[in-house]
Amino acid sequence: MNYVPRKDDFEFVANRNLEIDLNFASQGYWKGVAIHFFKNRIAVAGSIIVSLIILFAIFAPILSSYDYHEIISVNDSTGKEIIARSLEPQIAGDSTDFFADKTFLFGTDDMGRDLWTRTWQGARVSLIIAFVAILIDMIIGTSYGLISGFFGGTVDNILQRFIEIIGSIPTLVIISILAIFMDKGIGLVIASLLITEWIGMSKIARAECLKIKEREYVLASRTLGAGSFHIIFKQILPNTIGPIITQVMFSIPVAIFTEAFLSFVGVGIVLPQCSLGSLIEAGFNNITVLPYQILPPISVLALLMLGFNLIGDGFREALAPKLEDM
Amino acid sequence: MTKYISKRILMSVLTLFLIIFVLFVLIRIVPGNPFPVERMSAEMILQKRAELGLDKPILIQFVDYMSLLLSGSFGNGTSLYNGAPIKPILLACLENSFKIGVLSILFGTIVGLFLGITAALHRGKFLDGVCTVVSILGVCIPSYVFMIFLQYFFSYKISFFPYFFDPSRFLFSAIMPSLSLSLFAIATVARFTRNEMIEVMNSDYVKLAESKGLYGFELMRRHVLRNALIPIVTVIAPLVVDLLTGAMVIEKIYGINGVGKLMVDAIAGDGIDYNYVLALGIVFSSLYIGIMLLLDILYGIIDPRIRLSAKEAA
Amino acid sequence: MNKKLLSMLTLGAVALFSGCGDESASNGKLSVMLDSNVVSLDSAQCTDSPSFELIADCIDGLMQLDPDGKAIPAIAETFEVSEDGKTYTFHLRDAKWANGDPVTAEDFVFAWRRHCQKAEEYSYIMGSTVACVKNADAVIKGADPSTLGVSAPDSKTFVVELDAPVPFFPALMAFPTFYPVNEKFYNSLDEGTYGTTPETFLSNGAFVLSNYLPGTANIQLKKNPDYWNADKVLLNDWQYQVVSSSDNALTAFKNGTLNLVTINGSQIEHVNKDPELSKQLTSVESGALSYLSFNQDPKNHHAGALSNANLRLAISNAIDRESLTDNYIMNGSKATYTAIPIHFAPNAKTGKFFAEDQNKYSEYVSFDVNKAQDYLNKAKSELNKNEFELELIYANDAGNSTVKVVQAIKSQVESNLPGVTIKLQPMPKAEYLDKVTTNSFDIALTNWVPDYDDPMTFFTLWTTSGSEICEHWSNSDYDKIIEDCTIGSLAADYDARWNAMYNAEKILLENAVIAPLYTNANAMLISPNVTGIDFHVAGVNRVFKYAKLKSND
Repeated sequence: MNYVPRKDDFEFVANRNLEIDLNFASQGYWKGVAIHFFKNRIAVAGSIIVSLIILFAIFAPILSSYDYHEIISVNDSTGKEIIARSLEPQIAGDSTDFFADKTFLFGTDDMGRDLWTRTWQGARVSLIIAFVAILIDMIIGTSYGLISGFFGGTVDNILQRFIEIIGSIPTLVIISILAIFMDKGIGLVIASLLITEWIGMSKIARAECLKIKEREYVLASRTLGAGSFHIIFKQILPNTIGPIITQVMFSIPVAIFTEAFLSFVGVGIVLPQCSLGSLIEAGFNNITVLPYQILPPISVLALLMLGFNLIGDGFREALAPKLEDM
Repeated sequence: MTKYISKRILMSVLTLFLIIFVLFVLIRIVPGNPFPVERMSAEMILQKRAELGLDKPILIQFVDYMSLLLSGSFGNGTSLYNGAPIKPILLACLENSFKIGVLSILFGTIVGLFLGITAALHRGKFLDGVCTVVSILGVCIPSYVFMIFLQYFFSYKISFFPYFFDPSRFLFSAIMPSLSLSLFAIATVARFTRNEMIEVMNSDYVKLAESKGLYGFELMRRHVLRNALIPIVTVIAPLVVDLLTGAMVIEKIYGINGVGKLMVDAIAGDGIDYNYVLALGIVFSSLYIGIMLLLDILYGIIDPRIRLSAKEAA
Repeated sequence: MNKKLLSMLTLGAVALFSGCGDESASNGKLSVMLDSNVVSLDSAQCTDSPSFELIADCIDGLMQLDPDGKAIPAIAETFEVSEDGKTYTFHLRDAKWANGDPVTAEDFVFAWRRHCQKAEEYSYIMGSTVACVKNADAVIKGADPSTLGVSAPDSKTFVVELDAPVPFFPALMAFPTFYPVNEKFYNSLDEGTYGTTPETFLSNGAFVLSNYLPGTANIQLKKNPDYWNADKVLLNDWQYQVVSSSDNALTAFKNGTLNLVTINGSQIEHVNKDPELSKQLTSVESGALSYLSFNQDPKNHHAGALSNANLRLAISNAIDRESLTDNYIMNGSKATYTAIPIHFAPNAKTGKFFAEDQNKYSEYVSFDVNKAQDYLNKAKSELNKNEFELELIYANDAGNSTVKVVQAIKSQVESNLPGVTIKLQPMPKAEYLDKVTTNSFDIALTNWVPDYDDPMTFFTLWTTSGSEICEHWSNSDYDKIIEDCTIGSLAADYDARWNAMYNAEKILLENAVIAPLYTNANAMLISPNVTGIDFHVAGVNRVFKYAKLKSND
């Protein structure tokens, strides 16, 4: 049986739509990343957690009936001041106690201040620190490490020795010297993070770069005449994104606790300002007597970290699509 | 390689020299006197400073210090704050911190690797979630808070572990502090191992190895772990330095005579004990530099494609 | 999930170590908490109360204090004072050092000369503001130590010459700086090793060290069988444990690991809810005064305003001291309205404490918002300024109530004095000391621990030359009174000196050079089976020589 071609079997080449893959090819890289990211339910859950914490950090202190530094007190019949010290979480009731008509969702601290307000106020400071740490890591740490690893030789040697020098000076010494020129407070903490925070990240980026720069595609790129910085930031960086995101996730709590430690020794943020770290420190002093005081800051921090980690995982997968079967 | 290493060692010595210089200068800028002054008159403070040679130009002080250091003594060999000799105390403290540090590194890497590998093999399943939560808690709960929990349960509630550090039963009393210290290491190692393993397991060469019939432990050992090791080793290295140089709060809570506490007392105490801070700084940075050197050498062993020496890299 | 992992690990640990018994650390041994490290066992170098305490456990001086703080003989069996009160002759008893050497007058001469010569922080106590030992100031500044006014005519007689009569001199002899050091033993040691191990430290007192290293958290002591008063010493061996977290201290006390601990305010509330524990709670006054120092230097960048007395008075009167002690510190510390702490420095004749009358200066120091605002308005019109931003600096000792106090002061001052803002500046102790001695602060929260039981331990702080904390205040009347009382005409006349000191205090408070806040106390939990510990407000705060531990079988 012979098949006789018919007219329907053919079409004009000129009319063919060449952009077939409507899903991917028509999108920009970042749009693709975004689509990927938001398809990932876990990543979306992470974003929701972090956004909720940010929203609470912004609005809870504003909407609260107390200031974060306000010592809640009443005068008793003899005119003696009584403060709402160390009250466990309570909802306004109508008992005869002094403060029973007030609501303290997280209780009060040992100075009679509302822990709900303070926790969210503290979350503000810690979020700022967290984002600063992310920026420092992403910008300074990554480029420093990639450059050091890629160029190798003398450049690497000098950059790495410089890290060894900076890394060897105790944070306390650095910050005490900065404190001569700056006022104490969050600015000082950020300045000290700027000096040391990115070292861990640069080590990771360098190690990744060392691993990748000998790969075939880098070689190919170089053969085709690509410049060093093009190779570093267009070829190598996207392929190191996994460990970099993981490292960022860890540098957040490290930065938050560095701030807490500095406040603890008296060079961090200035009282009555607070941060999650300093609230944890404060709760720690009374941990077995008043355990409810340390729970809110630790839980918020844990949730924040959970959120960041889920987002980080989502990003890793969205940025390096080979992980997913497309 | 030998040439590379000897060159690196030479560079490290130079770096150490620079570090000592920077630290020497910086620490003299930090406000505060190195000796107790609360009951001294301004005149007496000046007299005391002159006696200690602190009124000389800083470069001359540095030269003096270096010549003493090369003859094997940290400055005049004693604390400027309380006259305590440096070497025996430093050694005693280093010993305690090192032992606990080594224990916590062991805990951290073994448990961390175990958790990370488990998570990677059960990716997206229940066990993976468990490992994620453990590693998130591990970085959120400060080690000293965890330490207090341990103390509360094992020393207070059931009186099993001693309440305070007891050097005569070292291993026994070192368990709680090293466990709490290793928390962060467990978390980081587990997380990095998991993520790296997943990445490597998705790579073509592992798929190829799988298709050739390699599976299970052998596949893990020969292809996956080896390739995932670079970032893992990179995060462990600084952790090793951190853990070996002691943890101030844990040492304070548990009454361990260690270098972390020694350092904070020397900097944040009533005076800034120049001699102690410098001696500790020198020890810490030698350790840091040494481990970083080791790390660079390890890279080459783990992944033979990596070359660090200048000629080959260019 | 963490717990699951934890219990797994513990099971492993239990299996591994089940062989080791569960003997608790104390085990029928007295265990006492120290809240900070012992700085040094060298009596010329130590500066802190844990060191004083440990040295006093191990070394006896010429005199010791009875439970009421009166001087009673220790190494000196008797002593005589010359007519003019300027020469003391101590006759030593047959006491021995732990290595068998007799304790001789030369040991004292050696120690005293050495202390002056070393010119460490506490050598000031030999000088003209306190003990007035002849030529001490010159030796501290570098003169030949043999010119110091001490001598040993024979090995059992120790003679001290003073520049002026010192009414509290015998009690001063219980202070560690005046303790002896065995010259032969000291010279046999390597330079700088004295007092760094049990082997390099020599006791002549109730206890000898059995385990010690500088900076160590655990210090073991045992009874010295050669102690001259060994019959009265009831403890055989006991220990100190440095505990930095008071939370830890409380739980360790509850399970019997420690027998004596200091706890903080929040824990006291918890303890008071427990009928059994609350019986073991005692509040011991420490004699330390917390106060605000105002920097009056008009040239200081923003302190300028504080050279105005009305502004200082306004701040002093705007602080509710009762609220500070009852609401924030809560450990038995007492609100104080005088420059001298309460329950301190009893008059030798009447037995009344110097600051017994807390209302004596209520005109200048009180809590009265209206008055404070009047002062503030005066200050505003005098300075022609409506807003004052002042920096309050303080040393940030963790776990201390200081942090709470400064925040409360900020809150009180800002709400009671419109226009005044307080900026809190915490800093490490070294930086704090640097700031207060170099005149770069506005207001400093100072906590002064007295060295001896006499008001002068405070009054010398505010003289023009007493520059430890630089208030930048100078008043010739005040200086004159203090000089008269220490080395001048009034030193020999007890009553006149006493009254003159009240005049000095008045000058101080009417000018609001300082704003006294509260007299510190320590809340301690002491096991009921521990008795015989003496507490003192000055010098060595706790004496364990005659302490007793009933075994609780």
